[in-house]
Amino acid sequence: MSAVKLAGIRKSFGDNEIVKGVDLEIHTGEFLVMVGPSGCGKTTLLRLIAGLEQCDAGEISFDGQRVNEVPPRDRDVGMVFQSYALYPHLTVRENLAFGLMLRKLPPAEITTRVNEAAALLELSALLDRKPKALSGGQRQRVAMGRVIVRRPKLFLFDEPLSNLDTSLRVAMRGELARLHRRLGVTMLYVTHDQVEAMTLASRVAVFNEGVLQQLGPPLELYHRPANRFVATFLGSPSMNILPARRDGALLKGEGFTLPAPAEAAGELLVGLRPQELRIGAEGPFSGEIEAVERLGFDGFAFLKTAAGPLVARFEGLVEVGQTVRVQPLGDATHLFTPDGTKALRHPPAERKA
Amino acid sequence: MKVAALALVLCTGSASAAPLKLWHAYRGGEEQALQQLAKEFTAQTGQEVELLAVPYDAFSSKITSAIPHNAGPDLFIFAHERLRQFVRLGVVSPSELPKFSAGYLKPAVDALEVDGVHYGWPLSLKCLALFHNRKLVEVPPQSTAQLLELLPTLSNAEQNRFGLAYEAGDFYFHAPILFGFAGQLFGPDGKSQFDTPEMAASLGFIRQMQDARWIPQEASGALVKSLFNDGRAAMVISGPWFAGEIDAKVDYAITALPTVSQTGLPMRPFLGVEAAFVSSKSTQQAQAQALAKFLSDGPGAVTRAVLGRQIPAALAAYEDPKVQDDFVISSFRKAALQATPTPNTLEMTRVWEPMKLSLRAVLQGLATPQEGGALAERRYRALHREAPADASALPYLLVFGVGLVATGGLAWKRRTKVSFGRKYPEAARGILYVAPAAAGLLVLVIIPFAVGISLSLFHHDAGTYRFVGLANFFDILASRGYSITEPLSFYFTLVVTLLWTGVNVVLHVSVGLALALLLKSPLLRLRGVFRVLLIIPWAVPNYITALMWKGMFHRQFGAVNALLDALGIEPVSWFTHFATSFAANVITNTWLGFPFMMVVSLGALQSIPQDLYEAAEVDGASKWTQFRHITLPLLRPALLPAIILGSVWTFNMFNVIYLVSGGEPGGATDILVSEAFRWAFQRNEQYGFAAAYSVLIFFVLLGWSSITRRISREEAAG
Repeated sequence: MSAVKLAGIRKSFGDNEIVKGVDLEIHTGEFLVMVGPSGCGKTTLLRLIAGLEQCDAGEISFDGQRVNEVPPRDRDVGMVFQSYALYPHLTVRENLAFGLMLRKLPPAEITTRVNEAAALLELSALLDRKPKALSGGQRQRVAMGRVIVRRPKLFLFDEPLSNLDTSLRVAMRGELARLHRRLGVTMLYVTHDQVEAMTLASRVAVFNEGVLQQLGPPLELYHRPANRFVATFLGSPSMNILPARRDGALLKGEGFTLPAPAEAAGELLVGLRPQELRIGAEGPFSGEIEAVERLGFDGFAFLKTAAGPLVARFEGLVEVGQTVRVQPLGDATHLFTPDGTKALRHPPAERKA
Repeated sequence: MKVAALALVLCTGSASAAPLKLWHAYRGGEEQALQQLAKEFTAQTGQEVELLAVPYDAFSSKITSAIPHNAGPDLFIFAHERLRQFVRLGVVSPSELPKFSAGYLKPAVDALEVDGVHYGWPLSLKCLALFHNRKLVEVPPQSTAQLLELLPTLSNAEQNRFGLAYEAGDFYFHAPILFGFAGQLFGPDGKSQFDTPEMAASLGFIRQMQDARWIPQEASGALVKSLFNDGRAAMVISGPWFAGEIDAKVDYAITALPTVSQTGLPMRPFLGVEAAFVSSKSTQQAQAQALAKFLSDGPGAVTRAVLGRQIPAALAAYEDPKVQDDFVISSFRKAALQATPTPNTLEMTRVWEPMKLSLRAVLQGLATPQEGGALAERRYRALHREAPADASALPYLLVFGVGLVATGGLAWKRRTKVSFGRKYPEAARGILYVAPAAAGLLVLVIIPFAVGISLSLFHHDAGTYRFVGLANFFDILASRGYSITEPLSFYFTLVVTLLWTGVNVVLHVSVGLALALLLKSPLLRLRGVFRVLLIIPWAVPNYITALMWKGMFHRQFGAVNALLDALGIEPVSWFTHFATSFAANVITNTWLGFPFMMVVSLGALQSIPQDLYEAAEVDGASKWTQFRHITLPLLRPALLPAIILGSVWTFNMFNVIYLVSGGEPGGATDILVSEAFRWAFQRNEQYGFAAAYSVLIFFVLLGWSSITRRISREEAAG
């Protein structure tokens, strides 16, 4: 069953169309992450769902009920803002209780819920502080607590971790995942960080330029990207994309040849994940190392080849300026149409198991 | 001859002589005449003359304060009424007028005599006469009986036409009527008297004319002028200056004021003699006297009569054919025959304010003509309170000395072991940096403050200061001479001031905030234009705004009443009742004050993150809840200092009170600071009493600032 259904949603600001006809269903209880580069329309979509913006076309429905005209306060959604939007003049306790007081809950009930949420988020000791006396992570937890106490049926997160430093972000990611498991509510999460998308999501929706590119579980998107954009957006470093052409049993590109899969025909783009390429003495690619990203014993090397820049994994010793060869690990070839809009082939899935 | 001889003397050494400084309050033709005469004088004698036109309102106090400090002019032109005061303060030199007295109208010479000595040279005469529009009035009334017969035929209240127009609220214009009813201003003991049957009769007479709407209400000079020029006032009581204000198209004549039929006495206007006085501090006495005489006699008088249309005091001027042709001058010369010189006594200067109060009260219907005199009497006694008994300065000096020693001792006890120089090795440079600001503070704040406090311990009367200790404070705080519910009482004024401040600040903040919210609304187009328009009241100097509002609140000709009238609402006589007068002040000051609060609110509103409203919206807050729980609390830190500042500004907002209501009715709308001003400059120069008021104002504001400091400290802590 779908908690939220978007059908043909369009939204412009002035002459600038930000959301260009999005259809999307969010299942009850799932953690859906909307990811994409800045300006792709994901935050606008979230605000449309919250009711903070009105869409120009299309229909938003919650549990089968059209909500386009319903004001935010009657949609039963909770939202965590990128800036946290804590009320600076209120204490943590008052911040948590604010929404409940507005809904005229009995004071005893408010106290219980606030204390529960505070315990869940380890905020109990901070209840009488004001936001300016809290650290970034604590503020973030208060912002989440404010939604939790209200027990809405839909949680909305607008890049909630982007203002935190890296280590805190990793920790909060864990807490968020735990929270989702524990509360079991529907969560809709917007981020531009693919790591958050991959680690948190039940399903990921990738957006670019106001259009939904692909929707699916994180690994499916990683292994079977629907187009060049999804392929390069997810995974780090990005997938290598090289133009090639089928010539008999071979795929020929500038300065390399690969065995041609059955799906290949004519001009196309070859996609190879850096993780699937190894630097060594042999292989179809040859190039000079321009930069090295060493993670320890292994790492990624950035090469200049005849076909263009190429990133590949290495183990052991490599040096900048060295000329090396690159070998794919088995069948790793993704194929895309020359304009990149459609994937033609993915490597066989059983390899990954 | 004499001038020529003197010129010869002067010419020999005048090349390097400093120019003679002459102060005057002339405008228009009178000023031109003076400029021309100054040039002629320079041409004849080689002596340069420097003219300075001084605003009339401040002229007298400028002279009495500048000349004793050698900062004044060599000579000045002033009416004779203040002569006795000038003599007492020693700012004028005697003249050789008696030697030439045959050449002048007698009353002009008499007016310049104080205790047997003559001062200054008479220039011109001023008195009131009756102007009539010859198209409307064929034969001017000779008596009040004729006048009262004539007025109904000339007046039509519906069309704003009046038989007679004059500044009825000013005692200068009422004095001839009082004298016509056989009234005497001073009793046998030389003291002013107000509560007399003659006073009641004269007040009854004008009240009768106003109640019948034969004369306009609250007439100002400007109103009288426009009514006469528009043909809506058939007759006007005014002086020679009025001739210069009449349009060329109006055919008019001037006669002496009518006789009062009940008594058979003529209405005798005050005769003012304007004279050129030589400053006692002038270093060029001979030249200054020569210039004064030059302005006064013969050719000088002709020039002033022809160009400035003055009524010359010099008889020779009337021989001149151009002067003889001027019917204004000849009419006024005739009118002057029945005039009585304004007494130049100190007692005379004390008559004006009580009589103004009484006239306003009677004309506005707040008092009957019979009560008018008693009202003036009471005000007179309050204003000219008996000097408190002299106090010995010794105990005060003792307390001051002990305080000084105690402070010094405390400082000595608290001194640190480390010497100042060791502790602050860079002190010299630091002191150098601080010095300019410290010097400014000393000169602009600390010294005036100390002088003000010292002054509050003195009683000033007629140029002499007597130490009276805290008597001024006791008198103020005990409300001596009037009950605490009277406008002259400190407590009454304090309550009015607090009410004034409270009402204003509430209105400023609410109007300012409401407009700021409107301006912030994304729905509003042309936001920038509105913002500029709304800030304009702030950009216009506040006294100009105050004067405009004053005009708009005029009973008969103001825009506010015109608007009320158009809406079918009865026009309001704004300044006759406390509530409406106070409201007029508040409206004016709100107009002046809301932009500041609006700008502060707008800035603060724009600094509230939009996220908070969105979060609240998702949380379930209505617009009103958002305003109450987010906007207001978040505006508080920015608005609080603005409110504190605004309250102090409003507390001391002299301009609006002084210019709009002027304290009307009867000083009820005066606030502490305007009341202090009146004690100092409008009520017998009671500087010590006024200073005591200022000190009390200081303590009130000190108390307020300690409260606000606590509030802001709590705010900062919270």
